[in-house]
Amino acid sequence: MALSLENVEALAPDQPSLDAARKLLKAGSWPALASNDAGLIWGECQGSGSTPYRVVVSEIDAGYKCTCPSRKFPCKHSLALMWLRADGKLSFGVAAVPVWVNDWLSRRRGPTVATPSEGGSKASIEAAGSGDPEAKTDPKAEARAAVARERNRQEREDAILAGFDDLDLWISDQVDRGLAGFAAHSAQACKLIAQRLVDAKSSGLAARLESLPSRLFSLPEAVRPTATIQELGQIRLLSAAYRRQSEDAEALPAGLKADVRQAIGWSISREALLADLNALRVQATWHVVATLSEVQPDRLRRLETWLWRETEQDAPRFAVLIDFVPVATGAASSGYSVGDRVEAELVFYPSAIPMRAQIARSLSGAVASDDGLEIPEQSLSDAYRSYEQAMQLLPWIDVFPLCIRGARVRRHGTQLFVCDSTETAEPLALPLSPAQFSLATPLLSLDTLDAIGLWNGYSLTLSWAQTELGRWVSA
Amino acid sequence: MGERMNATTLKAQALPALLAGTNRQPINFAIGLAELERGDTTTGTLNALSLTAQALRFERPLPPANFNTEPSIHDERNILPNRMRRTLIRILKEKKTSDDLELALAWAFGRLKVRPHPFDLPRIDGFVRAYAEQLGLTAQHWAAQQNDSTAAQQNYFFADALDETNWSQAPLAQRARFIMDRRKEDAAAARTLVEANWAQENADARVRVLTALETGLNSGDQTFLEGLAKDRAPRVRSLAQRFLARITGRDADHPALKACMERMHRSTSGLLKKRATLTLELPATVKEHEARLWIRNAFSEVSCSELALALDMNEAAMIDAAEKDEKLMLALALMATQDRRLDLLEQIVSSRLKDAWEQMSLCGVQDLGLMPTDERLRWAEILVRPYAGKPPASYAAWSWLHRSLEAPVPEALMETVLRSSRWLANLLDEKKAGPEWMELLAAVCPSPLRDRLRNQFASLDAPLTLTALSLLDILDSLEKVGHHE
Repeated sequence: MALSLENVEALAPDQPSLDAARKLLKAGSWPALASNDAGLIWGECQGSGSTPYRVVVSEIDAGYKCTCPSRKFPCKHSLALMWLRADGKLSFGVAAVPVWVNDWLSRRRGPTVATPSEGGSKASIEAAGSGDPEAKTDPKAEARAAVARERNRQEREDAILAGFDDLDLWISDQVDRGLAGFAAHSAQACKLIAQRLVDAKSSGLAARLESLPSRLFSLPEAVRPTATIQELGQIRLLSAAYRRQSEDAEALPAGLKADVRQAIGWSISREALLADLNALRVQATWHVVATLSEVQPDRLRRLETWLWRETEQDAPRFAVLIDFVPVATGAASSGYSVGDRVEAELVFYPSAIPMRAQIARSLSGAVASDDGLEIPEQSLSDAYRSYEQAMQLLPWIDVFPLCIRGARVRRHGTQLFVCDSTETAEPLALPLSPAQFSLATPLLSLDTLDAIGLWNGYSLTLSWAQTELGRWVSA
Repeated sequence: MGERMNATTLKAQALPALLAGTNRQPINFAIGLAELERGDTTTGTLNALSLTAQALRFERPLPPANFNTEPSIHDERNILPNRMRRTLIRILKEKKTSDDLELALAWAFGRLKVRPHPFDLPRIDGFVRAYAEQLGLTAQHWAAQQNDSTAAQQNYFFADALDETNWSQAPLAQRARFIMDRRKEDAAAARTLVEANWAQENADARVRVLTALETGLNSGDQTFLEGLAKDRAPRVRSLAQRFLARITGRDADHPALKACMERMHRSTSGLLKKRATLTLELPATVKEHEARLWIRNAFSEVSCSELALALDMNEAAMIDAAEKDEKLMLALALMATQDRRLDLLEQIVSSRLKDAWEQMSLCGVQDLGLMPTDERLRWAEILVRPYAGKPPASYAAWSWLHRSLEAPVPEALMETVLRSSRWLANLLDEKKAGPEWMELLAAVCPSPLRDRLRNQFASLDAPLTLTALSLLDILDSLEKVGHHE
């Protein structure tokens, strides 16, 4: 990734951080500035103390580390170093990577083309099974640990199933009272049952219920009653599916079973996913078409980076990288910007509709690109049909990306819609997210556009559009 | 009973019960939903909930019965190049940017007939709303939409080139300029256009358009001006009265002139040759710091010729007579500017009021009205000439000149700044000038000198000049794609 001022801006947690970074753009603040000419830059920034802060930035994925005690991420020193690089006014001498930079590289989790740990003593998943004598563990201890893990797993399964009994009762109570007025008291009601599900170790479903009130209140009042039915119906469907897969391992297809378990709260660690030889892997050039940032009720910020595969092949066209960072850190961006192009091998989480992925291997850094996308020749109705097909495979699918050729944005009162630009047999108009009203209003003047958007069952969040006036992006 | 369960049955039987509450309205499983109630009623109800939810999820959203008709806007201006779009958004979103930066951008957009990219309008909404008139038709439509939902009904077909058929739909500044130009060609025809549209204009518009009638003022305007004696806006009445007084030569109906005359004292001085002397006496209630504002207000509705006539002397003699009174000289400088009498202004500034630039800057922004660009530059040259190689290091004075000109300052002034190796250095040392000073210098720098300014900026710390350099880049870019008149 060639760092640009736009990247720096996107990464900055807030305006004061940028303002503070700006004050560090003087040569005098940086006694040392260097790079390895392979995507790593580092420097020492003179702070108020006698020892300068050490700052390192990976240009490949905008990873960073600074020794300052700031609670903002990235801190002003990291931002300033990126800014200096993007600005190009100060020169970075080429130098050997110092030990403290290598140390950071060996500890970081993110993708990088550099492999600093090679030859080092850090343990790896591969080494665990390689017969290395140092990696061997006591078989009895291992067996005991396995038994303990299995016992814990079984206890959690039991707790989850017991929690579902409470959940069924709670949903029945709500249905008895009627769902037309559920939204009005949803905050209190959902909080209570979400806490019970947390106790029952069903964190995924708990999070879904905790965020239900805010999802309902983001919708027009008229659709809230039916939306309540849809949301509670899906939750009940998930619990029923979970019961089925726990009673009979063969009851659900493998992908769907994985979906159910992930939705309930059984997470798959990045390491486990990378080690899974059966996991779907796709190596391709990917375009960043959307970046989303949302604060969850648990005070974690969910950062989504939606990728679109450039080449036609029998593999998922879209992938989404999801990161969670504590809100307190201030980080509000994954480091990727819409329009970036990255060549990488992605490994997908098992699913009936594989979409969530991790970067297994970066083959190139992210590069900002002005190129358009070869959006497949499909109308809005065709795109919507693909969503319906996905819903058949994964009934509780939440957000689904739609590619549309020849779309048009139109207005009805204060609501924008995406429609086909030509007359079709099945006229369809998807409401645009109200949050995009202002940003998407300039699209009203265009007769046709090719677009990519994220449909959540209620509204479309337009993320990318190719028009006669150039590219429109939401971020 | 034997009816097969499907989405329609679920929506007909289960949905109303789920909404109303099964306590009040139990689901009738017997009608098409028997498959759901295999265990107990509770399980059946929960199954009905799940399936109804899916049935609803598979329902396609219904399109609205009709869509709004969007106005077709023919904005023929060139669009700001793509590579500058992010820079523009960045500097306009910065909290600490100066107003002069925004003004320089807006005026450059207006002068060069360039428009921001339509997709960027929401991101620079505040700027667009503030300077819509300068930014083209698309921006005006955007701003009108944001300010008033009925704006979509306005007509956006008019072009930048105005004629008798479309002038009344143009922004106010363009309308006034059109009337002024038309007055030069055919004063009566221009007045007829104004008269025809007079009833639809608001007070601000009436004042601006009436000001434009000053060009080519003649006895043919008398009837129209007399009709304005009952106008609702006092500003219009007062302006019309001034014009009438000028046409008819009667000064009795000029209250502002009378008020000024009451403050002027005439005497004679000199031993061998008696010379007339004029002095201005401010009211006792006006404190020293309020003096300039009082002068500006008191003399704003009086012209040099009217005052000279009332004093029974010619204009040059009036200036000679006032030379000992700095406050009166300031008043005369303001009046000469307002009357576009650059010959008188030159006489005032060249030998008597050498710091007129700084003095006038303390009176508030000078509205040069319909003064053409070349005349504005000449006006500025007169004001800055006495400073020769040492322009003032006052931010307020520079900003005032920029705002009055609505364009870059004269090249000679900027040349002085760039030639002096110490001027900028002193500014930074003594005044501890911040980025806003650099932005102002970038804003007022004429285009041929921008590269030299960049070179000067290169020796300064990046935080000081970052936004200023971006502004220079955008202004250069606008020059490249813009239409030069």
